[in-house]
Amino acid sequence: MADLAIDVRDLKKTYRTPFALKKVEALRGVTFGVERGHIFGFVGPNGAGKTTTIRILMGLVRPTAGSATLLGHPLASRDARRKIGFLPESPYFYDYLTVGELCDLAGRLFGIDAAARKRRADELIEKVGLGGARGQSLKKFSKGMLQRAGLAQALMNDPELVVLDEPMSGLDPIGRKEVRDLILELRDRGKTVFFSTHILSDVEAITDRVAIVARGQLQAHGTPAELVSHALQGVDVIVKLAPGAGAEADAALTTGATRVRRVGDELSLTLAADSDVDAWIARAHAAGARVMQIAPRHETLEDLFVRRVAGADRAAAAVEAADASGAPAP
Amino acid sequence: MIGRIWAIALNTFREAARIRVLYGILVLVIGSNLLAIFLGQLAISDADRVARDVGLAGISLFGSLTAIFLGVFLLYTEVQRRTIHAIVSKPISRWEFVVGKYAGMVVVLSVLVGVFAVAMIAMLTVQGAGVSAGVAKAVVLAWLEVITVAAIAIFFSSFSTPFLSGIFALAMWVIGRLTPDLEAATRAAAPWIRVTTRVALEIVPDVHLFAVSGRTIDGAAVSVHGDFVPWSYVALAAAHGVGWTIGLLALAALLFHRRDFV
Repeated sequence: MADLAIDVRDLKKTYRTPFALKKVEALRGVTFGVERGHIFGFVGPNGAGKTTTIRILMGLVRPTAGSATLLGHPLASRDARRKIGFLPESPYFYDYLTVGELCDLAGRLFGIDAAARKRRADELIEKVGLGGARGQSLKKFSKGMLQRAGLAQALMNDPELVVLDEPMSGLDPIGRKEVRDLILELRDRGKTVFFSTHILSDVEAITDRVAIVARGQLQAHGTPAELVSHALQGVDVIVKLAPGAGAEADAALTTGATRVRRVGDELSLTLAADSDVDAWIARAHAAGARVMQIAPRHETLEDLFVRRVAGADRAAAAVEAADASGAPAP
Repeated sequence: MIGRIWAIALNTFREAARIRVLYGILVLVIGSNLLAIFLGQLAISDADRVARDVGLAGISLFGSLTAIFLGVFLLYTEVQRRTIHAIVSKPISRWEFVVGKYAGMVVVLSVLVGVFAVAMIAMLTVQGAGVSAGVAKAVVLAWLEVITVAAIAIFFSSFSTPFLSGIFALAMWVIGRLTPDLEAATRAAAPWIRVTTRVALEIVPDVHLFAVSGRTIDGAAVSVHGDFVPWSYVALAAAHGVGWTIGLLALAALLFHRRDFV
């Protein structure tokens, strides 16, 4: 069995309102493992159970059932927390502190001595690009700056495992790239990074493994290459129409297309996977159009995500309908 | 462990130092001491007597109200604002966090009581009266009362909203203060009323032990203006306060340990 930094088994969490009048099943038995030295993307729509899973791992929330280990230690173990860096979702910090004081507080909680705290804080503040904002209180920070401050405090203990809840949230494209680079750098230094996100392009760009969670259940788990289907999904084509081409030319070229978009004299469309592309090109030439680009279309992580989340939604709707009618669930 | 508790205490002190209401309370107490000089001029009795009474009452009243205010808000807002997420995910136990918050409050309240006491001593000096051992003991007792009340407030804050925690803590403080009066009032009542009152009073800290001036203890009248309690009494009262504080913080830590931070 692989050396796991995070080992989650059948984790369940049900939130109950006072007097247990209402219960919400946030997690319904989630199982996955994160290998040491990997970047692991935890993906799901809002309310999927990502943050609940992370809060359980970080000891903020107690699971209703199931178990998990972090770096071989049981949940809520202080030994594990010594080796973990955590960035909470939409980080809320003491707004009267400066980023240096925030890092100092984190360092004190990790038991780092004063000289090392100062050195490490200075280094990390520069690394996350907040060197120019050292004197400002966090109250004056933008959301992106707070996110960077959160990253700095999360790395104070030079953690073996870094858990980031929506680390790209609130960042501009440059900030996102910097965080991606930081995550890759951590992996290059042998660290394990577990992060949740909505931004699938980031997941595709940097993760070694991905888990998709929806409605409190794991929908898919594996490397991005393993998860997506390699079968041809269609053919993306861009053509330049002949000057003055009318509706007839459009109709001849778009028949059977699954997606059509026309901007000026440029027509972009997706042909079905089983289309006769040679015949279509011949029709395009006959209509006086110039073929600019032809590219095979394979499933992307986004396609998979949408498919799995939609599947989970349909299954949940069917169960709810069955519950309402009293019939057995499908 | 000490380093982690101190880190939380220091941060709590920083947080509390930003609360403007505290500065308002400071102004109020210094104002009441100045008023004591004026009242002292009008009073038939000694002016320094009024300054002592007003000064000590100010420490006890405003100190305890501040303790309740800080106690019900400081722990609750950590959970409400989710600042606790980045803290308890680090290698700190939840009980260390609760004790750290309390220790920070004790530092803030000690500074506050110190300023109140200095203001009172300044007024007494202006009146030409010195600071007797009785006044020093009364200030120490008032400080013990304030930090015990802080523990009551933090206990309620570990599981309740600031509004309810404030009401519960205030009720406990008032009942604790009135214990001898409640016992006296029910002495001639039906046995079940006496027993019920006794049981109710047992679950409330005897904060009246910290406000003894004007009472009779072991048959002797005690007054900060004359014969006051010995230091051994102060030590016993301190032991009572510390016992309750440890018990209340242990319960608060236990309740806090079981909470989900969502």
